[in-house]
Amino acid sequence: MRLLEFQAKRMLQSHGIPVPKSQMIRSADDLKGLAFPTVLKAQVPVGGRGKAGAIRIAREEEEGPSVLKDLLGASVGDYPVQALLAEEVIEVERELYVAYLIDKRENLPLIMASPEGGVEIEEVAKRSPDKIIKRHLDPFIGFKDFIAWPLAKALDIDFNWFRRVVQNMVRLFHEKDATLVEINPLAVTANGLVALDAKIILDDKAAYRHQDLFSALRAEAKELDNRLKSQSELLAEGTGITYIALDGEIGMIADGAGTGMLALDLVHQYGGRAANFCEMGGLSNADTMERSIDVIVNNPQVKVLLIGLIGGMTRMDEMADGIVQYLKKADRRLPIVVRMCGTKAEVGKARLKEMGIEAYEDLTAAVEEAVRRAKEL
Amino acid sequence: MAILINKGTQVLIQGITGRMGSFQTQIMAEYGTKVVAGVTPGKGGTEIFGIPVYDLVEEAVANHTIDAAFCFVPARLAKDAAIEIVSNGIPFLVVTAEGIPDQDLLEMVHYASLRGTKILGPDTPGLISPGKCKLGVHPQALFMEGPVGVLSRSGSLSYEVGRVLTANGIGQSTVVGIGGGPIWGLSQRAVLYMFQEDPETKVVVLLGEVGGTMEHEAADFIEKVMTKPVIALIVGRSAPAGSPMGHAGAIVEGDEGTADSKIKALKRAGALIADTPLEIPKLIKRIGV
Repeated sequence: MRLLEFQAKRMLQSHGIPVPKSQMIRSADDLKGLAFPTVLKAQVPVGGRGKAGAIRIAREEEEGPSVLKDLLGASVGDYPVQALLAEEVIEVERELYVAYLIDKRENLPLIMASPEGGVEIEEVAKRSPDKIIKRHLDPFIGFKDFIAWPLAKALDIDFNWFRRVVQNMVRLFHEKDATLVEINPLAVTANGLVALDAKIILDDKAAYRHQDLFSALRAEAKELDNRLKSQSELLAEGTGITYIALDGEIGMIADGAGTGMLALDLVHQYGGRAANFCEMGGLSNADTMERSIDVIVNNPQVKVLLIGLIGGMTRMDEMADGIVQYLKKADRRLPIVVRMCGTKAEVGKARLKEMGIEAYEDLTAAVEEAVRRAKEL
Repeated sequence: MAILINKGTQVLIQGITGRMGSFQTQIMAEYGTKVVAGVTPGKGGTEIFGIPVYDLVEEAVANHTIDAAFCFVPARLAKDAAIEIVSNGIPFLVVTAEGIPDQDLLEMVHYASLRGTKILGPDTPGLISPGKCKLGVHPQALFMEGPVGVLSRSGSLSYEVGRVLTANGIGQSTVVGIGGGPIWGLSQRAVLYMFQEDPETKVVVLLGEVGGTMEHEAADFIEKVMTKPVIALIVGRSAPAGSPMGHAGAIVEGDEGTADSKIKALKRAGALIADTPLEIPKLIKRIGV
């Protein structure tokens, strides 16, 4: 889960990292009593807001309403802006970059820092990679002074200021099961370091360890998320089924991520257009299959359903039962093309045959058939 | 020969009495895998399919020589289970659970590397050396013995390719699922090295996907070290950016991790590129293995 800026800053602040004074703005009424100048920042979970014009300064009170109107009416990426964060303007001497994350190449936590923070950090990384300093941590030893020293030196910054910020980032990261804590820019001011913007990603797989926190953060984000969602996306929420909407006519279901992606590529290659990507997950049974079909057929664009199954952990007899369960209650009848092999495939195929479905053995043949049927309709 | 496992490999199953653990253990044992012990805390002193069950790994290790372990323990308990295996000095562990928190993975993989245990996974079906040993949940009828080493991030894709190879009369030396990520014990690079060293493996099939940079590191390794032919298939070429395609590791973020960049790097490194599984047996026949 990627936190919104105001959530990330609240978390930084509660972990002892200074952030600017701020206030949430939802409407013109909220501007009353605000100190100017102020920075108004759209609260959307999208990077590059500065370049997208989603961060603006209102110099004086009179400017407030028009800047607010511009921002609240706009969209950034897919996200219509629902709220702004109004922040005090900070006197900045220099802008640094600091991030703490997992380096997946080395399987170790990594601190990255740069003396050239700000919106161009990706350019800095490309143009002069030596300006990005990296230090791995041993997960059993953690953040120590001997790690902090060379970083503080390279950033040309007060050791104690720097150590305190990074120590707190590392503590937050481990306490809250984050996968990324990034402060960019980290402003150097006369009085110390201040986090001007922050990106925090929490690990959804660890949600069970922080149930209250995760559900509170999700509820906040949901209230500000006004993206249009399809019936299918809404139905798939919270089921454990991976559903990604695409814009074609062939509804897809797979029992594995790899073969799901392969089927998607093959549909593309044979000139068809997939309506979605859908993978049921490792521990699926007949009900998972039935629910997955429900999700897919709720998309009115879907003309043909292509179910590609190759069972290892998933049992084909159970998958066939799920398809049969759907067919028995279905009010929307679509052509269904099935590829089935692997664990208990013979039983599964026999059950489908009783319902008039002849399952394919070969995925490519099934894809060709689905593309052909979609073009006919 | 095969990699990581063989005919004589003595196996311990963690979580042997659970629904999935017992179902799959029986299939492995029938396949010929030497399952010598199982562990389920609280079930010590019992037996399942004639296999003794212990409360602790320590007790199993005291009574048997264990070469490898398969962990059926669910994600929330997987870290502790893995650390128990590693601290008892078992050299090889397969972790099948999906959805283990990243920080748990970080700790278990780091601990294993310090203590010298190889971890395969997580989120993997395991591995199979057809005709010799199966330390996994693969639909075994799709595989046969032969000279092709297969390594895959996706379990289902390795079944698909095994099926196509077998249907074309081409057998496999070992089929290894390295797992769905986003953090891996054994990397593609590490498994490529084992195939390079394995006299039985004549050609290697690498099945990759979008997301991360692992295939770039594999490409670098292929160029510098591999003398055996490598055939690569990368799926997710038509995957949209920003959405994980079912695997935690399969996400295109910006320019990073696209299928195109991986295919280019692998091609440059001298790997043969297959666009579909059906092309793989054709390429193998062309190489003349």
